[in-house]
Formats: sequence, structure tokens, C-alpha cells
Amino acid sequence: MVNIGEISKFIAFVFSGLTMFFVLAGLVRNDVRFIESGRRSIYGAALFITLSSYALFYLFLTNNYQVEYVASYSDRALPLFYKLTSFWAGQKGSLLFWSWMLSLFAAIVAFRTRKEVPNKNIPYVYLVLAGCIMFFNFLLLTISNPFDLLSFMPADGKGLNPMLQNPGMIWHPPTLFLGYIGFTIPFAYAVAAMTTGKLDATWVKQTRVWTVISWIFLTIGIILGGQWAYVELGWGGYWAWDPVENASFIPWLVATAYLHTAIIQEKRNIMKVWNMVLILLTFILCIFGTYLVRSGILESVHDFGPTGLGGYFLAFMIALFIGGVYLIVESYGEMKTDSTIESYLSRESTFLFNNVVLLALAFSTLFGTTFPIMSEIVTGKKITVGQPFFNQVNTPLFLFLFLLTGLCPLIGWRKASVDNLKKNFMIPAAVTIIGAVTLAAFGFTEVYPLISFSLSIFVIATIIGEFKRGTKARMKLTKETALTAFPRLIIKMRRRYGGYIVHLGMIIIVIGITGSSAYKIEEQATLDKGESMTIGEYELRYDSFKYFKKWNREIYAATLTVFKNGENLGTISPERRYYTNAKQPTTEVSIRSNLLEDLYIIMPGVTQKEQITLSVTVNPLLAWIWVGSILMVLGGILAIIPKRKKRLAE
Amino acid sequence: MKKIKNKSIVSILIIAALFMLYSPFYANALNMSEVEESLTCYVCVGEPLNIDRCGGGDQMRATIKTMIKEGKTKQEILDFFEKKYGEGILTIPPKRGFNLVAYAAPFVGLIIGVIIAFLLVKKWGISAETGGTETRDSALSSDMQHKIDDELSKLDEEA
Repeated sequence: MVNIGEISKFIAFVFSGLTMFFVLAGLVRNDVRFIESGRRSIYGAALFITLSSYALFYLFLTNNYQVEYVASYSDRALPLFYKLTSFWAGQKGSLLFWSWMLSLFAAIVAFRTRKEVPNKNIPYVYLVLAGCIMFFNFLLLTISNPFDLLSFMPADGKGLNPMLQNPGMIWHPPTLFLGYIGFTIPFAYAVAAMTTGKLDATWVKQTRVWTVISWIFLTIGIILGGQWAYVELGWGGYWAWDPVENASFIPWLVATAYLHTAIIQEKRNIMKVWNMVLILLTFILCIFGTYLVRSGILESVHDFGPTGLGGYFLAFMIALFIGGVYLIVESYGEMKTDSTIESYLSRESTFLFNNVVLLALAFSTLFGTTFPIMSEIVTGKKITVGQPFFNQVNTPLFLFLFLLTGLCPLIGWRKASVDNLKKNFMIPAAVTIIGAVTLAAFGFTEVYPLISFSLSIFVIATIIGEFKRGTKARMKLTKETALTAFPRLIIKMRRRYGGYIVHLGMIIIVIGITGSSAYKIEEQATLDKGESMTIGEYELRYDSFKYFKKWNREIYAATLTVFKNGENLGTISPERRYYTNAKQPTTEVSIRSNLLEDLYIIMPGVTQKEQITLSVTVNPLLAWIWVGSILMVLGGILAIIPKRKKRLAE
Repeated sequence: MKKIKNKSIVSILIIAALFMLYSPFYANALNMSEVEESLTCYVCVGEPLNIDRCGGGDQMRATIKTMIKEGKTKQEILDFFEKKYGEGILTIPPKRGFNLVAYAAPFVGLIIGVIIAFLLVKKWGISAETGGTETRDSALSSDMQHKIDDELSKLDEEA
């Protein structure tokens, strides 16, 4: 099976090379048959890299520890589903996964465009996709081979890091990768459009679904990463502004900016240059993300350490950057449009300012992430830029962004009249003022939380207003009742209202983040059996202690009874775990969650006399982060559900 | 209109009531995590103390706990560790020297971006009003222009 994996990987590399060769030959000779051959070669690359990936899965499942990668990330005691997820636990496997998914995506594009081969842009799309596949396959063939063999057969593997033995491992890395990989498709179409000069909104429309799907995957990946970090002690809570977390957040911000201005290009055929810049930047930043994880230039609990791949990814990024700048400069004249943004009071204008803030956030995060390197170069001193820095610098920018999120729906396209704006603005503004005053009256007087909650109210009010206006208009037009008109409005205009649902989800996340970060409380205590500790309105009584073995771990668990204002809410059981392959014990968090607050308990210490040390936190409104996240993803999915094709007779 | 206002106010009061449950009762004194997140472990270089779980981190946590009990402020605790281990022990660079660039750059970037956006919209706006550049209006018949305007005004409904 090792040979199958090795050979398939090589054949996949050859097929990606053949794609490039045939497409280039087709372009030079102006012969569609060559391009068709190139298109079919993409299927070959996808097929053989799939075979190679199957081989690696097989080697994990059959415990073939002579394969160095399998021995490093698996052992006999590892549960089956973690053996499967070990595929992407290390650098080499994750790179194979990247190449595999990219080839499959490219094969989907090749299949969907099978009747468009004579189209001027399509050969260049194939060329770019094949180039990217070839780059990744080259790395797999040369310095990052997951099929490398050890000179002996170890009796067992080293096993998977205990922190990776979490359900998050099943979904978080693949979804994040799919997000990164997906942006290769709009990037390829953008390059093709600039190369051929077909610079109208066609490429934006053709890639809209790919862009939104990639954005959804990236969003899911980031959220699942946050959820995993929250439940797995040692990764700093749901968001720690760790360099690798930032590496996924930066392209997400730029892609979000692009999603907004792409709408303007579709509707008004303007901002062509800007959209090109954004999509190129998004793709380069996706590569930058994987460069950070694999280069070892920054210290992070998430990275793979130095892998020898840094230089290759750096070179790839530089090539992408130079090529991108060259194409933009070359086609700048053709991309300049006659149409313009006509007024500050227009939706286009608010989209532009929203883009500026999103890019400022991306820049600030990128700058903070790489500042330790800059500081070391300039001053010779190694400094750390962590969570408090990003909170301090990015919070005002986020608040500005929320303000724009609220303002945007109030302003119409092209040029809104002041009277119209006043009319739309009045109710949300009044509601926000009442809300802010009420909050302040109840003691929420800290500046940032008050502004954040007030802006959240403002955005929610504007979104509710939009839903209300739309429902009323539909009721008037169709004579439907509100209960019928409301869901039909959302279904009929799913792109628009899907977008609003995404915004609503985002604001719900903001409320959760504000509540849980500004108003959390924490206590620590050491307890003997029968003793209690108090935190806020909660009382925790330590009742019993048990030891048991499960799969590849020994577990020490304390049972605590939770009381709130004297009412018994049941038991909760934080754990200490000793994994067979780990040198240090791990601490499993125990969480009691509802919409109002999370009771978050960890047990950092246990003595032989079964005395336990507890560290307890009450995180207000934290569950809102997950609720908002689900809404964001659902809104995104709603926005890309295709419309039913109208019959010709209609 | 009154109905809308009333409903909106009721919704807001419900949201406010939810927040009320977390009134200043929770605005408490200095806690461990506030200090921990501002420091890195002196053994595991670069690893924030709130993530780190090694013996060196435990020592630092014990010191922080003692200092909080003694009534020291967050800044006093951070100063103590900075004096002992150097600037690298902090997760937030002190606002001095080259570090100021890190604090200023994002806002300078934002201000430049906003100014450019303002100037662009202003320039475009003037162009559109005066016909200073070739606008699409000049190339279209008035019928077609009306049709486009109608279509655009419907964008809110059809987007």
C-alpha cells in the first residue's frame, strides 16, 4: 500500500503537469482538442491523489508503523475515528489532504465547465488550478512525503497528542482547509479574466457560489476551532489571538470585504480593480496562513514547528504577489469603469467604508501577528504580542464596523435622499438610545461593553426593520398574511435576507463575546469531600471521586453537585486524564451551559487523598457565540441556494 | 408608526432585561486571568500564562495569587515580572520606543483608508454631477436611462 500511495502521488503530479502542457499547447496552437485533453487530465490528477489519500487512510487503519508519519501520529490504543483523523494531524498528511481536496475541487470545475472549453477564460482557469495542484504535489514528492519509511518496524506508534483527541479534530481542520482551498477557484477565475481581458462581472457571478461556500467553510472552521479551544484546556479559551488563529481570521476578513464589493460589481459593474485586489489578497493570505503554520517563524500552540517548507511557501507567495500585481497593472486601464459611486449617502459608499474597516482589521491583525519578527529585526529584542494587545487595538475598529453594519441597510443604492435616510434612521436610533440609557441605568457603564451592546441593539433594530418592511411590502402585493408573507419573503429573496441573517448571527456573536469577556467572574478553591465553594449565585459541593479506564486513557473524575440560589441543578464532573502516550496529565473541562451563562469548571489539581483544586468561571452569554455562529452559517447557506430554473414557456 | 415604536421598545426592554442579570454584581476586582493573559510563561517562551500548564507557570501563578491578595494592582504585578524577566515576559508590548509603531499603524492605516475612500467618493460624485468624466448617462437615451433608474431603484427589493 505504501507503493500505491507513492506511485499514485507521482502519477497525480504527472497529470497536473500534463494539464498545464495540454492547455498551453491548446492556447499556442489555438486548438480546442488540446485544451479538452488538459481538462480531462485534471480528472486524472484528482483520481490518483484520491488513491494516494486512500493509501494513507489504509496505512493508519492497519497500524503500519514502518511509515514514519503513521508511527508519529497513531498507536494501537487510539480509537478508530481518531486513527482516521490522524490523517491530517501532522504537517505531511495535512498537505496531502490539501492537494487531495484541491484536485477534487478542480475536477468539479472541470466537470461543470465541460461545455465551456471554447470559452476564452476557461483554459486559463485550468492552467491556474493545475499550477496550484502541481505546487502541492511537488512538495509531497520532495520534502513532505507522508509515505517515508523508517528503517525498522516499531512495535507501536507514538500516538496522537491528547489535545488532538477531541471531536473538534474530526471537523475543524478539514473545514478550515476547505475554506482556504476553495478560494483557489475564484482566484483562478480572476487571473483568467485579467489574462484574457474579459473583465466584466461574469467571473464574479461564475465564482459567487464557490466564494460563499469557501467563506462558509472558513467560518465553520474558525468557529469549530474556537469551540474546541473553549472545551479543551490549554488553548486559551474560544479566541486567544494566537498567530495561527489570526492566520485563518485575516483571509476571512478580506474575503468578507470581497463578498460585499462583489455585490456592487454584479449590480453596477464598478469596483473591478478593487475586487481583483481583494480576491488575490484573499488567496495569498490563505497561503500565508499555511506558511505561518508550517514555517516555524512564530511560536504558537497550534503550529507544526519548523518543517522545511517555509521557503517554498514564501517563494509561492512572492510569485503570486508579483504575478498578481503585474496582471492588475497590465489590465488596469480595461478595468477602469465609467460608472461611479455618486454619493456618500449610498449603499455603495457604505460598502466601500465597510471594506476599509475590514481591511484595517486585517492589516492590524497581520501587523500584530508579525510584529515580534519586525521588532526583533529592528531592536534585536524578542517581544510577545498577545491577546490584550489585539483586544486593545482591534476593539475600536470592530465597533466602527458594527456601526456601518447597522447603517448599511438604511441607505439605498446610488443616492439616498436625506429625508429617506432620516425616515429609516429614526426608529433604530430611538431604540438604540432607549436601549443604551436602560443599560446604563442598570449599571452597564463600562465604555466598551456599553457601546458594544448599544451598537448590537442598533444593528438588530435595523435588521428587524428590514424584515418588517419586506414583509409588509409583500403582504401589500400578494395579500398574504404576515405569517405566510414572512417566510416566503425570506425564501424568495434568499440572497438578500440570507445576508441579513449572517449579520444578525454576527451581532449575536458580538453580544456573546462582550458578555463573556467583560462580565465573567472566576474563583479558585481547594476542597475535601463534602466541602463547598461559592461563585456568584452558584454553590458547588464536592461529593465523590472516581477512577476508571477507557480506551487509551486513565480518568480521575470528581463529582460535584451544583446549586443555584439554593436550587439543586444536578451534578457535574470535571476530569484529569492520563493518556497512555502522554507525559503530562490533561484536564478535561466540565461545562454547564444555558443561554444566560456557562458554568465552566476545571480541576487543575488532585492529591492522593482525593483533595481537589477547582478553578471555576461563570461566562455570561457565552452560548450566544455558538447560536450566532449557527445563524451566520445558515444565513450563508440560504444565500447560495439556487433558484429553480424557470420553464421556457414562462 | 406608534405600534412599530412600541414593539421595538418592548424588544429592547427584553434584551436589556437579559443584560440586567449581569449588572455590576459581576464587575469585580482584579482576577487571576486578567493578569495571566498579560504574561507569558518564563519557561515556555512565548506561551501565554493563561494557556501554559508547566511547573514554571505554576510558580508564576502562585506569585500572582499572593500579590493579588496583598492588594497589588495589575500594573504593579506586571512591572514586577517585567523587572525580573524583561519585556518579553509581557503579552502586551509596553507603549514606548519601536512598540509604538504596533499601536499606531492600524489606526494610521484606517485613517488613510477612510480619507482615500472619502476623496474617491467625492471625486466620483463630482464627476457624476458635472459629467467631468464620460458617464454612462451621456451614452444612453433618456428612455433607457429611466429604465435603468427604475431597475436600480428596485434593487433593494430584488437583491
